[in-house]
Amino acid sequence: MGNILEYIKMAFKNIKANKGRSFLTMLGIIIGISSVIMVMAVGDGTANAMNSEVEDLGTGQINVYCSDDAANAEEWITPEDITAIKESITGVEGATPNDGTSGTTITGKGEFSLTFSAGTEDLQKALNFTLKRGSYFTAVDVEEGNRVCVISDSDAKRLFGSDDVVGMDIDVEIGGISGSYRIVGVTQQKENTSFISYTYEGMPVSLDVPYTSFDYFGWQSDSFYSVTVFANDQASGEEVVRDIIHTLETRHQCAGEEYYQVQSFQDMLSEMNNMLAIVTTFISCVAAISLIVGGIGVMNIMLVSVTERTREIGIRKSLGAKTSSILLQFLAEAAILTVLGGIIGIVLGLLGAMGACGLMSASMGSVIHPGIKASTILGATLFSCGIGVFFGIYPARKAAKLSPIEALRRN
Amino acid sequence: MDNLISVRDMCKIYNPGENEVRALDHVDLDIEKGEFVAIIGHSGSGKSTLMNMLGCLDVPTSGSYYLNGRDVSAMKDNQLSEIRNQQIGFIFQGFNLIANLTALENVELPLIYRGIGRSQRHKLAKEALIRVGLEKRMEHKPSEMSGGQQQRVAIARAIAAEPPVILADEPTGNLDSASTREIMEILKTLHEAGRSVILITHDNEIADQAKRVVRILDGKIVEDYFNQSPISSQIGNKAD
Repeated sequence: MGNILEYIKMAFKNIKANKGRSFLTMLGIIIGISSVIMVMAVGDGTANAMNSEVEDLGTGQINVYCSDDAANAEEWITPEDITAIKESITGVEGATPNDGTSGTTITGKGEFSLTFSAGTEDLQKALNFTLKRGSYFTAVDVEEGNRVCVISDSDAKRLFGSDDVVGMDIDVEIGGISGSYRIVGVTQQKENTSFISYTYEGMPVSLDVPYTSFDYFGWQSDSFYSVTVFANDQASGEEVVRDIIHTLETRHQCAGEEYYQVQSFQDMLSEMNNMLAIVTTFISCVAAISLIVGGIGVMNIMLVSVTERTREIGIRKSLGAKTSSILLQFLAEAAILTVLGGIIGIVLGLLGAMGACGLMSASMGSVIHPGIKASTILGATLFSCGIGVFFGIYPARKAAKLSPIEALRRN
Repeated sequence: MDNLISVRDMCKIYNPGENEVRALDHVDLDIEKGEFVAIIGHSGSGKSTLMNMLGCLDVPTSGSYYLNGRDVSAMKDNQLSEIRNQQIGFIFQGFNLIANLTALENVELPLIYRGIGRSQRHKLAKEALIRVGLEKRMEHKPSEMSGGQQQRVAIARAIAAEPPVILADEPTGNLDSASTREIMEILKTLHEAGRSVILITHDNEIADQAKRVVRILDGKIVEDYFNQSPISSQIGNKAD
């Protein structure tokens, strides 16, 4: 049988002797593997970035709202319901009605429209902000109906040219009634949120206020269409949802009417994940196509090169090479080419993925880490190398099985 | 069985059926150790088929073939490879060197397949190349050598492993007269050193340099005689 080292040496010699052909074979493998790794890494990286942002925004948020069947205000959710949910259900950390309205204000910088997000002090849990100055409004403010507000630093700069505005009053007009809100806190946007929140010129200034502060403007603040409940990380989402519905139905004596519906954050997340899965599938298809194209390239070169070398196979056989020796030689050649091509492909793919993610991060103002999965690398490499080895050996086997005179006659 | 080669009732039939071609038709042939035999015939006579059989490159349709006492007519592909490797040194008309290997590497090939270690292999290959007068061309590729030199590399490859039989198929067919003389001289020297040489040719002049001439026509041996004094004798006319 000779020893394997001889065949490996022989293979290296042949690869070196046929640089052009060897390069083309490797090129197919390199393109196949690197493009798959790159496309998958960028795709997964983007998906991960979106996912983590959404998760940042609020795991454990459960949105409860009244269905169309509950048109009656009696079934709407009351402040007492909210207190009950907060106090009686384990795992619930807070709850706030989702209330709000719009208004206007005039400052030294001009006239601005306002969007009020109203709720209890728990509203701060819903927001993807950190406090920069002052503090959020408190339970006392909610109880007493104080007209206090929290504003973002960028909005503060738009209104007043500075974010050092804690203690200042904003004069507002809501539904034709004028009043003033005292600023108690300034928030700052968290980083990495370019996918979800962004600002544009002329968009309304947003203020967080206690829902009870609307009483001053003649507003009914005793029943709400929708409520957000915050569950802690340990709580089982499903149990909390069941308890919330049970509490509401008991308090409104409407068990089984399905007046209350729930959209938990998990639902939203899974919807989003479905969307991302579609995108990922699409990306995978593109990657698979490039893999196949690369594979066909490898196949062609291998087929041609073995056909070209049928005579060489004949010579070797006439000198006493067995079929297995011929196969071993071609296997060694194909393996060396595919392994080299594979390594180069992986390196190029990773570099390409990092480059592409760097470019995207720079242009989107958000950090995307390439999502590199070992399974992708392994899969792409195995596929390309499999094709390379198969089409390196299969025709060689056919040629090696020819009678030596037959093979010698070919040119 | 003392004979080196003993062929009995050998037939080779291509395309069995209506358009069958009897390339070999009940051939009997014995060759002893140390003989220098020329097998002569025009193209289509079956001499190439006979050479393929003797060289274990192909198997007969029927009949038996004993080479060095072993029946090779029933052997499988891998066993035939082994026999070719150990018993036969080929010299082809078209040289059949591997283009991207140097002279030395080409000569080493059969030794690799025999499983001989690196240093021993180098030594044997170098000795063989020195014997054919190519000590200065060892690192040259076939494309850098003349036809005569290439054929000498092929001879070195055939003798490096010291096989009992040297089988030369029209070894001078592609060469000019000067190179032809060179190659024939080497073959004669090999014969004088005790090797068995079988030469296949269509050329009477070449055949007359052998000790024994076997003429083949239409798949049958029609003449088998010894040259009284090789080279000078001109017995036998060209077959028509």
